[in-house]
Amino acid sequence: MDYNFQFNVIWRNFDTLLDGAWLTFQLGVFAFWGGALLGLVGAALKTYGPGPIRFLVDVYVVFMTNTPALIQVYFLYFGLPEVGIRWSSEACLLIGLTLNAGAYLTMIMRAGFLSVRKSEMEAGEALGMSLVQQIRYIIVPHIAKSIYPALANFFIVILVMGTSVGALIGVDELTGTAINLSTVNYRWLEYFTVIAGMYVVLTFIASIGLALLGRWAFRVKARIF
Amino acid sequence: MPHLAVNDVCAKYGSLEVLHGIGFEVDRGEVVSLVGPSGSGKSTVLRALVGLTPVTSGHVEVDGKKIDYGSSQAVKAARDRMAIVFQQYNLFQNMNVMRNVTLAPIKIKGRPKAQVEAKAIELLDLVGLSEKRDAYPDQLSGGQQQRVAIARALALEPEILLLDEVTSALDPELVNEVLDTIRRLAREGMTMILVSHEMSFVREVSSKVIFMDDGKVVESGPPAEIFDTPKSERARDFFGKILRH
Ligand SMILES: Nc1ncnc2c1ncn2[C@@H]1O[C@H](COP(=O)(O)OP(=O)(O)O)[C@@H](O)[C@H]1O
Ligand SMILES: [Mg+2]
Repeated sequence: MDYNFQFNVIWRNFDTLLDGAWLTFQLGVFAFWGGALLGLVGAALKTYGPGPIRFLVDVYVVFMTNTPALIQVYFLYFGLPEVGIRWSSEACLLIGLTLNAGAYLTMIMRAGFLSVRKSEMEAGEALGMSLVQQIRYIIVPHIAKSIYPALANFFIVILVMGTSVGALIGVDELTGTAINLSTVNYRWLEYFTVIAGMYVVLTFIASIGLALLGRWAFRVKARIF
Repeated sequence: MPHLAVNDVCAKYGSLEVLHGIGFEVDRGEVVSLVGPSGSGKSTVLRALVGLTPVTSGHVEVDGKKIDYGSSQAVKAARDRMAIVFQQYNLFQNMNVMRNVTLAPIKIKGRPKAQVEAKAIELLDLVGLSEKRDAYPDQLSGGQQQRVAIARALALEPEILLLDEVTSALDPELVNEVLDTIRRLAREGMTMILVSHEMSFVREVSSKVIFMDDGKVVESGPPAEIFDTPKSERARDFFGKILRH
């Protein structure tokens, strides 16, 4: 191979890449927590809601998990303006990713609702807890602990794969920034090598953070790799 | 006026009626025991009292005031006055001992944290577990978990404590530590309804024994009477079987 790698231009624009990485990180965190909240509500409605509501949750989950996240974000970005709703590309990406994550997390958390010990719920009820209080004090810690690895993996998926969809609607997250910069001087290979490394570092930091959080909050002994 | 009066109560699981008109009374400070064959509905009586199994007819009165199990407010009020301890302890697995005991009084009843914690420390001392405050349920033996469950129920300061076979999931050598706790509560004048197969213990602590079979009260009276001179064939049969071994 006689390609001549030239990384100098990249280091000159490294600040811009760091900004992109920071935005990627923020988008990942917000979409995950928003999705977790949606997932919790979705799983609760799927478990305890009346028939029609359970059906609506199913429709939401099937629709969002069986269509590409890219299409969902496109729909918000290109489709909604047709009916007069115009959001920034960042907002479309964040909302799209959150809705998408919410559907996956509804499925993941549903497993937690089904596996909670019925007797613990009953003990809570006998102590005077309402259903919402039982969910909050019994099911949420149970979910956090028992499916923590699945949740942590899913966070990484959003952080790396989900956010990069933004590149296609002009969000300056890490991938989008790299594409923009490389169209100026055609150093694609260098840029993509460097951001691949940055994604790995980002994932590594997130994994350590999640493992520490899990250990501290839920007594989960999570493996980092 | 009795502290608790249960009148002709029926209860169902789904469409299956398992209590067919249960009646008995409990005075303040009294220990009343429910005994009878497995499946006779003893647990269901306790569950119905705290609104875990729906009461379909009959009524329950506390201090002469009727509890309407159809209203969630009234059920909440009933749960304020009666606390249940389950055979399988049913502790919250993801909380340490202290939080198991203090969660409901603080978060559900909204009592002041400092006061609840002081009370919890006292209760854990009473059940002999002051050292285990920070332990999680899976780090405790069955007997210890059951004593935490008793402390958790007492933390709500109930007027009546309902104990459902609290020793039957325990290894024999752990049974006594739990029975000692109950003895202590009885001495302190706690009103209790006890479901138990420990007949000598029932005889020792109860002022009244209720023999149930097939969702009905067959007979009731002072322990000596029920155990030594049961009137019904079914009670004679039952005690004959279990007292022989
Ligand atoms: N959750 C339940 N669903 C349906 N039937 C039940 C349930 N719990 C108990 N039963 C039935 O109710 C009857 C009384 O049970 P229970 O009150 O547990 O008896 P005991 O405590 O005296 O052994 C039994 O026939 C039992 O099979
Ligand atoms: Mg029982």
